[in-house]
Amino acid sequence: MHTNFANQFLTLLRKEFVIEFRQRYAISGIVLYVVSMVFVVYASSIKVGPKEWNVFFWLIVLFAGINAVVKSFVQESGSRQLYYYQLVEPSVLISAKIVYNTLLLMALTVLAYGAYGMVAGNPVKDPLLFMLVLFLASLGFSIAFTFLSSIAAKASNSATLMAILSFPVILPILLTLLRLSSVSLRLIQDTAYRKDIVNLVAIDVILIALAYILFPFIWRD
Amino acid sequence: MWWKSASVILLVYAIIAGLVVPLKPGIDHVTPDSAATGKRFDLEVHGYNTWYTRGKSTDIRAWLQYDSLRAIAGTDIRVLSDTTLQVSFDIPSTLPNEGESAMLNLIVSHPTDGVSLLPSAVEVELDTAHTSSAANWTDHPIENLHVVRDFSYPYRNVIYETIRNTYFHVPMWFALMFMFLTSVIYSIRYLNHPNEADDRRAVAFTETGLLFGLLGLTTGMLWAHYAWGKAWSNDIKQLMTAVALLVYAAYFILRASFDEPEKGARLGAVYNIFAFASLVPLLYIVPRLFASLHPGATGNPAFGSQDLDNTMRLVFYPSIIGFVLLGVWIAQIRFRILRLQQIADDQD
Repeated sequence: MHTNFANQFLTLLRKEFVIEFRQRYAISGIVLYVVSMVFVVYASSIKVGPKEWNVFFWLIVLFAGINAVVKSFVQESGSRQLYYYQLVEPSVLISAKIVYNTLLLMALTVLAYGAYGMVAGNPVKDPLLFMLVLFLASLGFSIAFTFLSSIAAKASNSATLMAILSFPVILPILLTLLRLSSVSLRLIQDTAYRKDIVNLVAIDVILIALAYILFPFIWRD
Repeated sequence: MWWKSASVILLVYAIIAGLVVPLKPGIDHVTPDSAATGKRFDLEVHGYNTWYTRGKSTDIRAWLQYDSLRAIAGTDIRVLSDTTLQVSFDIPSTLPNEGESAMLNLIVSHPTDGVSLLPSAVEVELDTAHTSSAANWTDHPIENLHVVRDFSYPYRNVIYETIRNTYFHVPMWFALMFMFLTSVIYSIRYLNHPNEADDRRAVAFTETGLLFGLLGLTTGMLWAHYAWGKAWSNDIKQLMTAVALLVYAAYFILRASFDEPEKGARLGAVYNIFAFASLVPLLYIVPRLFASLHPGATGNPAFGSQDLDNTMRLVFYPSIIGFVLLGVWIAQIRFRILRLQQIADDQD
């Protein structure tokens, strides 16, 4: 059973990469989305101080993240869903999706950081902490968005639904990220920022547990 | 049903007791609010809900207090009216701290009114010209306070009479949490054994929870208008509550997005559980990260035990139970309406 889980998981994870590689327009679209958003945000704000940099950066990451993750269930047809349903456990499917989306979001956040840093300057004073924040962001966004996109994908208005379901739910994560990011930019002095990291991890654990328990009720139609 | 009567009785009691019971006597303000060291000065104390003329004026005691050890006792206390006192203080020639000035709290102990306190009532500034005063900061410790037991609410600066809103604003959140929790339990039951009744109950309780959320927000804004100066001051708890209501508004949009009612009910139940779990960080973790105007230290959402005295508890707890029962009642009626609508739809 254990090896079975690992096998199914790795196969599904590989499948995600293969599909992404075959449909290169999707990933190119997201990359283009990030880059254009960086330029639009930069062009509309004449002068970007560290405080504005922080807020704009996380808004870019938020929107890019939603758009990157929403396709993970929407793009898969009903017949393919039925095929998975016969082959794998739901928990394997959701974990493969979450891990894949985390990796995708990590790549995207680093890309957004690079692109935004190039045009708007790089005010990050504690790169190590900032990288950790980027990782925690990718993880948290990935769990919440993957789970919610599996719900939204069932409806006809999935894009609107995805936004109204995820924005309020993601807010605690986003606010904690903004705070941690402010610490890494030295915008605020906070020696107790480790508590925020623990909070973030705690929220992630709750969301993962819920995703595991609830996903079996979502995927079958 | 007995619990419906209980809800009405408890709420009528909470409304009457909450609005009628008076505040404890307190100190509204003093004039002047500053003094210099080494001098004798007269302080006029303006009370609120006080009956200074009752009892012997010689029994009234007053102190200007710096901390638990250092205080100066007032002498020559004269009662001018029920709400006005005049007290003289001999300020020592040094300050209790090493600084240029010190803020002192005023404590008045009255035989029938009891003890009242005005924090930071008088600012004493160091005056190096007068060093002759014989008074000392530690000569008159605060003792023999008049303890008066009565049925009245604490007099608190800033909130004053609006303290009564505690019985209406705070129970809304208890009722909201109860409604949402019950709704989640029905959603879990629905996922285990799908049936229309549990789904309708989950919807009815979510609707009622949302109603209490709106009422809690409204009573909170009214309170904020008087206590904080404006109805909406982007306090972190105000913001997070608004967001929590958005989470539940999305629940109804989600349910309505499906043509097949069964699918909407199932995914609605899943989202309901998820939404409740996200309510916990919204209302209990995030507010701790930011400063808040709400009671409880720096955004701590807990309602501090020091914010309630025993009299208030006697109204506060019945009010919570009353509002929760009222919520269950409303949810029951909503449930029946939803069922009748379904029957009417089926007959068409």
